[in-house]
Amino acid sequence: MTRDRFELAIIVLASALIIYMLVSILYLYIAVGERWSSVVNALFDSRVLGAIAISISSALIVGALAIAAAIPSAYLLAYKSFRGKGALETFLIDLPQTFPPVTEGLVYLLMFGRVGLAYTYAAVIIAKFYVSAPFAISFATRRFREIRESGLDVIARTLGAGTRHVLGRILLPLSSRDLLAGFSLTWARAMGELAATLVFAGAIPWRTEAIPTLVYLTAAEMPEVAIAASVIAETLSIVALLSFRWIARRRS
Amino acid sequence: MKGLVVQGVSKSYGTIKALDRLELNVDAAEFMAVMGPSGCGKTTLLLVILGVLKPDEGHIWIDGNDVDELPLDKRNIGYVPQDFGLFPHLDVYENVAFGLRVRKHPEARIRDRAEELLVIVDLEGMEGRKPKELSAGQKQRVALARALATNPPVLLLDEPLSSIDEATKAEVRANLKEIQKRSKVTTLCVTHNPEDSFQLGERIAIMYSGKIIQCDTPQGILDSPKTDLVRKLVAPMYILWNQRGPL
Repeated sequence: MTRDRFELAIIVLASALIIYMLVSILYLYIAVGERWSSVVNALFDSRVLGAIAISISSALIVGALAIAAAIPSAYLLAYKSFRGKGALETFLIDLPQTFPPVTEGLVYLLMFGRVGLAYTYAAVIIAKFYVSAPFAISFATRRFREIRESGLDVIARTLGAGTRHVLGRILLPLSSRDLLAGFSLTWARAMGELAATLVFAGAIPWRTEAIPTLVYLTAAEMPEVAIAASVIAETLSIVALLSFRWIARRRS
Repeated sequence: MKGLVVQGVSKSYGTIKALDRLELNVDAAEFMAVMGPSGCGKTTLLLVILGVLKPDEGHIWIDGNDVDELPLDKRNIGYVPQDFGLFPHLDVYENVAFGLRVRKHPEARIRDRAEELLVIVDLEGMEGRKPKELSAGQKQRVALARALATNPPVLLLDEPLSSIDEATKAEVRANLKEIQKRSKVTTLCVTHNPEDSFQLGERIAIMYSGKIIQCDTPQGILDSPKTDLVRKLVAPMYILWNQRGPL
């Protein structure tokens, strides 16, 4: 009996968290309902459309670059032994996720500002990549390690496969779901990145202004524009994550 | 000299000596069973022969060639691990064809060889099946066909019967022996199970603490065990072997 009460308490606590998370997401749609017509008008505002275009395109590019970077990094981390590997993994995966993005934006501004990269579309990509790519790298590394544990790569090598074949015929096909999951989370994180992008790339409409920067700059003065941009970003993220989950489940 | 020679091989992990100047000669086309308790160094021996681990000293010779400096993808050793290690994303045909494909054999040659092997291992008609649709015995035969596809001079088997249930063990064992005989490949099989080693091996090498302490035919070992330890390790066979005899 006591144990059941305890379990009930756990379920109540979990439910409270679930409701809090869901309300946090869904309240935006309630806000849209209150200002329906002005938000719909704002949706067709050129600045909002520009931010949507910049956000989606840059996040897709960041996702693709992250996968391209994740494959060699994951191979290195999963298969090679060297001194300082643990520290390197922290630098590649943990640090970018905890490092203050605003500081990262400043670092890039100092590093690349003098070569003319600041306030360009490339700056948007660079800023978002640092913060988002660790998702893809950590997913790929975890999966490559699982495959190494299974010994399948050793068997492939005994059959004459060099590193190219091990990668192309064993590691990548067996990691496709994880790479897709890594891509989707990287994409979603890149969609939401604000601080590093704002500091390094600024907010030039149709050039560097992404949805989060637009929301930040218009939240107080033009809330309907901020709400319109946010609702687009949020809907896209939810639809994208659900689709990726669905694809991943079908593939399994 | 044809066959596999392990010459004075040692391998340590820190202070633990897994292989201790181990000597072993497997004649061409012979089926040699290496039998010993868990932790005696059997797996390390396989990994050193395969080229996954570098020995601290000693040499591995295959058909008269010193292969010490060859990486594992250049040694051409057939290997069937304990869990068979089939590639789960590839069907039976592609598993068998894997080694030929990565060696860039022409498609017609790959097809002929894969079909020939599937006949040998009695799996015709199962080309399109995925590993998860196969029984343990079938998986083992696919793994054998895959390992033999590139005509390796040596075949290594790691506990080949440990994943097979008791009901089909005798049949699988007979099959394994038959396939080895037909392919005439020099075979080294490690197992902790006395019955498997006696039924499979033309000769048995008894391994303990990183050394081969006796190597002889099954009957030879039963007739004159070199030490009390050997007698103890093969004790169950005094009854089983005399009751059932060889396969």
